Amino acid sequence: MKSDKNDAFGVKPSATDPMNDLRLAAARERLAESRDQEDAIDGLREIVANFLGSEEIGLFRVDRSTSTFQVFWSFGIDLEKYDLLRALGDVGLQRVMRGECHVELGARDSLGAMAKAQAFVPIRLTGQTIAILAILRLLPQKLAFDKSDMELFKLLSDEAAQPLFGLSAYSKPAAEGSGMSV
Amino acid sequence: MSKKILVVDDSKTALMMEREILEKRTTYQCVTASDGQEAVEKAQQERPDLILMDVVMPRMNGFEACKMMRQQSSTREIPIVLVTTRGEESYMEAGFQSGCNDYITKPVNGAELVALLQSYLGE
Repeated sequence: MKSDKNDAFGVKPSATDPMNDLRLAAARERLAESRDQEDAIDGLREIVANFLGSEEIGLFRVDRSTSTFQVFWSFGIDLEKYDLLRALGDVGLQRVMRGECHVELGARDSLGAMAKAQAFVPIRLTGQTIAILAILRLLPQKLAFDKSDMELFKLLSDEAAQPLFGLSAYSKPAAEGSGMSV
Repeated sequence: MSKKILVVDDSKTALMMEREILEKRTTYQCVTASDGQEAVEKAQQERPDLILMDVVMPRMNGFEACKMMRQQSSTREIPIVLVTTRGEESYMEAGFQSGCNDYITKPVNGAELVALLQSYLGE
């Protein structure tokens, strides 16, 4: 990462971890090389599965003209039955809309097992949150999100919008769903 | 002469990452394939020193490719490391039954991957 700090995501870049740098470089290259929206979505799924360790992923599109958001795409979970507002809460949703990442790191219970970890990442374009990436469950072997994951969230937040939405970033989603208030 | 690794994955992202790790953190040469069928063909052509292969892939999955390579004299002895998101014991057991030598789960830890490869190939 080039920036010195990342307040919205609460971590400083781990410049001393060359493996993390390689991971970020591969994610950046994959997004930048996306041929079209479908390929960009494939890339996003691959990045989350391979680098973050989750196969339950959703993407919600924000429609600022109606102050609602709709399910844009999902993988491994039926987001039509998923209540994003309840999962995030009003405060959490407002934070994400402001451009902050909302992460529940997961915590060990008395038996040593990890409680559910999940993350909500604002997908930003020209300073506005235009979508929310929801990462809803980690694979069993991935115990929790860590600091290097926060750097990847930051990269996705800053660089995924263009390949995912391109010039249509400000238009309404094609399928108007029963959006919830933003 | 540097050792050669055949990296097999249908995910461009995983291929990019594994290739980056091999090229920047090791002296190994890297060739790639994007599904099991291509892997079987590339293994015969390239005669790699080790195969690092995803399991869930189109056309031919990693288990099937592993079995096929174990049946062919030219690829029978090549170490195969399977890579997958599935870490359950039963799934790993199926991997070993297909003939793999080792098994690692995603997300791949780069340092652990390099150490594992070095344990087979040396530095």
